Amino acid sequence: MTTETPLVLSQCDACHSRFLPSDTPCPKCGSTRISAFPVPAHGRSIAATELSTPAPGWTAPHRLALVEVADGVRVLAIVDGELPAAGAAVEVRLAGPVYRTCAAERGASERGEGESPRARRRGPSFEPPR
Amino acid sequence: MSVHVASLGIGRFGKRPEGLVDLAAEAAGAALEGIGRRPVDLLVAGTMLGHGVHGREPFLPRLAARLSLEAASGLRAESTSATGAMAFQLAVDALETGRFERALVVAAEKMTDRSTAEVTGELASALHPSEAAHGATMPALAAIVTQRYLERHDLPVSAIDAVSVHARARAAHNPNAMFRTPVTAAEVAASRPVATPLRLLHCSPIADGAVAVVVERGTGPATVLGMGQGFETMRIVDRSDLTTFAATRVAAQRAYEAARLTRKELGVVELHDAFASFPLIHLEDIGVCGPGGAAEWFAKGWVAPDGRLPVNPSGGLIGRGHPIAATGLCGIAEVAAQLRGEAGARTLPKRPKVGLAHAVGGLASHNFVTILGAAGP
Repeated sequence: MTTETPLVLSQCDACHSRFLPSDTPCPKCGSTRISAFPVPAHGRSIAATELSTPAPGWTAPHRLALVEVADGVRVLAIVDGELPAAGAAVEVRLAGPVYRTCAAERGASERGEGESPRARRRGPSFEPPR
Repeated sequence: MSVHVASLGIGRFGKRPEGLVDLAAEAAGAALEGIGRRPVDLLVAGTMLGHGVHGREPFLPRLAARLSLEAASGLRAESTSATGAMAFQLAVDALETGRFERALVVAAEKMTDRSTAEVTGELASALHPSEAAHGATMPALAAIVTQRYLERHDLPVSAIDAVSVHARARAAHNPNAMFRTPVTAAEVAASRPVATPLRLLHCSPIADGAVAVVVERGTGPATVLGMGQGFETMRIVDRSDLTTFAATRVAAQRAYEAARLTRKELGVVELHDAFASFPLIHLEDIGVCGPGGAAEWFAKGWVAPDGRLPVNPSGGLIGRGHPIAATGLCGIAEVAAQLRGEAGARTLPKRPKVGLAHAVGGLASHNFVTILGAAGP
């Protein structure tokens, strides 16, 4: 993608959580007082999968990625092109009712280029400590 | 008031020529025979898809008529793949009100009369609509969970191959199982990809099947000691941690508290292995081991019939087959079978006194834990 349209997240006026999609009440506290919160349209792939048997209406191979677009805000997105590695920089856009994602054209250097893939994947933890 | 499992009717799972009501009636008949056809005053029936020859089956009234139970009261349960566990817990709760003496619980699913694509689409209705809208399927989201789990604990995919090998080895001893032949780790690793990294032999198969149990007031070797259920957000994008299922942890905590016992007293567990990575997560969520510790239990055989804690001696969903609604009740019935000494060729070397059955609804958005055992003094 050459031009970047920001993603518009929702921010809860009550508990300040940020989330998607924007047409739902706050998943944390249930408040319906929501404000728009734009963020740059790129993120990191957390995990991605290629389906050999997609749901009816979709063609194989169908690829999906779970992408973190802001701190703690994730989207499920249809992958255009190759499956991103865990931790890889991706771009995200909203296309009708679905998110689509593809490899980022730039930004690899910000995300630990030069480290081994394993080390890069390990990077920041996606999960809180338990 | 105590309630116990008085009789079992576990049907054969797999591709069956019979329809939904026929399958259910067969399992119910076996359970009713087991109590000498004594009267039942409550029928609790569960099915998710409700496939009938002419579309959706009016399952509860048709089954009641078929079993000549029109004088009984009836309830119908549905919570996707946890339906059977929900039906069981509903029946126990109903008996505990004192209004009923004895309940027949039946859970059944007919699946193999539809194409895999059609069934996959129907099962995606158990996912959040916003995620299903992306073409997500149950295996797709399970694959994402699997990747996160393996990566977080630095485990190779072979860690889940071992789970499938265990399931199929156990199912070889279960005459009701869909798959009676064991598989090797190499065969699991060479099976066709379904949703990377999950392969065919990591996934529980589509199957027809039915299970019935009779529960009644009183005590026995399979008395209900504790029950619990828990919810978690349906959307996986809203879950901060995909390597554990909060719905299981809540359900297990409630069941342990009600039973006033800990996981150390468990002698057998049946876990919902819809996908091979899931029992690793479940074993941790029910407190048997810490995060990342479960793979060692499978690798070292601690889950074997003669191991520290036998897991899924029935073969689990991967070995038995996964007729959606029947599965949750089958786990409970299999635990009861071990406690009652009615497990036939899959009988554990040491008869357990307490067992736990676990069921997952949706992508772990509504989970159930049921603990059975000999009633205390």
